[in-house]
Amino acid sequence: MQVLSFFIRRLLQGVLIIFLVSFLIFTLLRVVPGDPVRLMAGGMAPEALIEQIAKNMGLRDPIVVQFARYMGGVVKGDLGQSFVRPANGAAVGGAQFNDSTRGERAHVTSLILSTLPRTLQLAGVAIALALATSLVLGVAGGLHPGGWQDRLAFYIGSICVSLPNFWLGIVLILLLSVKLAWLPAIGYENFAYTILPAIVLAVEMIPFMVRTLTGSVAAIMQEPFIAVAQVRGLSRYRIVYHHALRNAAIPLLNLLGVQFSTLLGGVLVVEYIFDYPGLGQLTINAVLQRDFPLIQGIAILTSGIFVLINIVVDLAATMIDPRMEY
Amino acid sequence: MTLALAVSLATPAAPPVTLGRRIWRHALASTELRIGLAVLLLLLLATVFYPMLSNLDPERMNVRARLLAPAFAGAKWSWEHPLGTDEIGRDILLRCLIGLRYSLLIGVASVALMLAVGCVFGIVAGYFGRKTDMVIMRLTDAQLSIPMIILAISVLGVSRPTIPGIVLVLGLSGWPIYARVTRSVTMTERRREFVRAAQVSGASDLRIMVRLLAPIVLPPVLFISVLDIARMMIFESVLGFIGLGVQPPTPTFGNIIADGRKYLINAWWIATMPGVFLCLSLTSINLVGAALERARNAVYGGAS
Repeated sequence: MQVLSFFIRRLLQGVLIIFLVSFLIFTLLRVVPGDPVRLMAGGMAPEALIEQIAKNMGLRDPIVVQFARYMGGVVKGDLGQSFVRPANGAAVGGAQFNDSTRGERAHVTSLILSTLPRTLQLAGVAIALALATSLVLGVAGGLHPGGWQDRLAFYIGSICVSLPNFWLGIVLILLLSVKLAWLPAIGYENFAYTILPAIVLAVEMIPFMVRTLTGSVAAIMQEPFIAVAQVRGLSRYRIVYHHALRNAAIPLLNLLGVQFSTLLGGVLVVEYIFDYPGLGQLTINAVLQRDFPLIQGIAILTSGIFVLINIVVDLAATMIDPRMEY
Repeated sequence: MTLALAVSLATPAAPPVTLGRRIWRHALASTELRIGLAVLLLLLLATVFYPMLSNLDPERMNVRARLLAPAFAGAKWSWEHPLGTDEIGRDILLRCLIGLRYSLLIGVASVALMLAVGCVFGIVAGYFGRKTDMVIMRLTDAQLSIPMIILAISVLGVSRPTIPGIVLVLGLSGWPIYARVTRSVTMTERRREFVRAAQVSGASDLRIMVRLLAPIVLPPVLFISVLDIARMMIFESVLGFIGLGVQPPTPTFGNIIADGRKYLINAWWIATMPGVFLCLSLTSINLVGAALERARNAVYGGAS
């Protein structure tokens, strides 16, 4: 019962956040100069025509009216249609200025759904890689505070934070695909294309995970229940993996919630460098082409995921540690 | 620059004047901080003096010295260009050092801005509570859930980005974290007796916030902010890389790397060298920042 009320309260707060995000993005896009119609119709189109298309699309109405109309669609599950991308997936941005047939434009929902799986695959592999590495480094560091393992974890963390993701991507492409030809780098054809981008993303996450893990493992090993476990004669393996790690997982989960938007920013850049056809690349292009509906759709989706992850993280934390309150 | 910032801002602020100094002294004992400061100082000296001492111009082209390799690294190189030249014969070392200037400038300026905005919002939210708090906190939640980079490209992608524009975007996209931290500290401090006393004796809210709360709330935050300078420098270079940073021909890490990517196979040094400089400066800033953070935690007894 308590869980349910917690869940409902958090969901309501989440809806509020998503609403705020949509409104912020919506207003920002329209306040900042840069007319999407000009981009769509091309530089040669006469001013009068631009005004007419804009009016037909409702882009000259007051922002609040436009927002209300848009949210009306969103509530019904309709995120609108892209300004520039045709439904048949042909070349992007090829609209002529006399082409005002808006009906053939791709639906935002289908654009997002077609790219999302690749990005989830990338994020999944990256998180797995980062977790595997940080578990080794973080647990070793946490078990020997002040020892060489702790220092190693600290220095590796410090170096990883200092590697700009786009530069690391280029260096890895140079070494692993150009010089050694081990891994493919550009585009996407099969799973192998996910590995390099995932490594770059993982390097971006490792420092935070390692730091959280070393800190929490070191703190937990000081707790009385660990000493009791030792007295009970449990093996060191069992103490570390069943008792210490289980508790250290909570700060790690919280970190995932907090770092979500950093991760997303990383995905954007990494997909851009590797020309990886996922949500990140879709976003960058949408922003550069001022494709308002697509940007708004992606913003709603990502803030939705953000909200959900944070709810799940809190729920999981209470399941791991029943002492925590909702 | 970071050092000067941390010291000058931290020392006069704390109410027991020794607090900032105690953290600083604690930090000075660590090897990491010393290594970081030494590297940072070397880089600063290089970026200040090398461009003056060398008689090269970072923007001048020299077709005869095109695509020279770094020293000892290829068939064609000269001591005049120790790190080689790019596709139109500009000196890489010089361009990297100029790039470092912009990177540090934008990093420090944007962190200063986000500190200012975040702390004002945080203290106001924490002090007034209730509806003000509610509004500001939901705003920070909303902004935290939008990736900074989306905000940055949607604003900067519109017109030719300028340095103040970039600083503004970076600064405004990073404030929510500071708002959260200062708010939580303010919430606990405002119930203390000296605040009550000031309220009863008729001090205005503004005066209480500026004179009483800010000096307590700010120092711990300042020590964290060193790490953010590094983050902002990375961010600036990412923007430069996708073409939304300071515009060429002014060299920045991002735009040199973006240029160099086109020549990656024939001239690997153009894209990799700026990254080495960027990495070095980021690592040193991060070492300093991490040492300061550890010292802060040690002095404050681990509580934030």
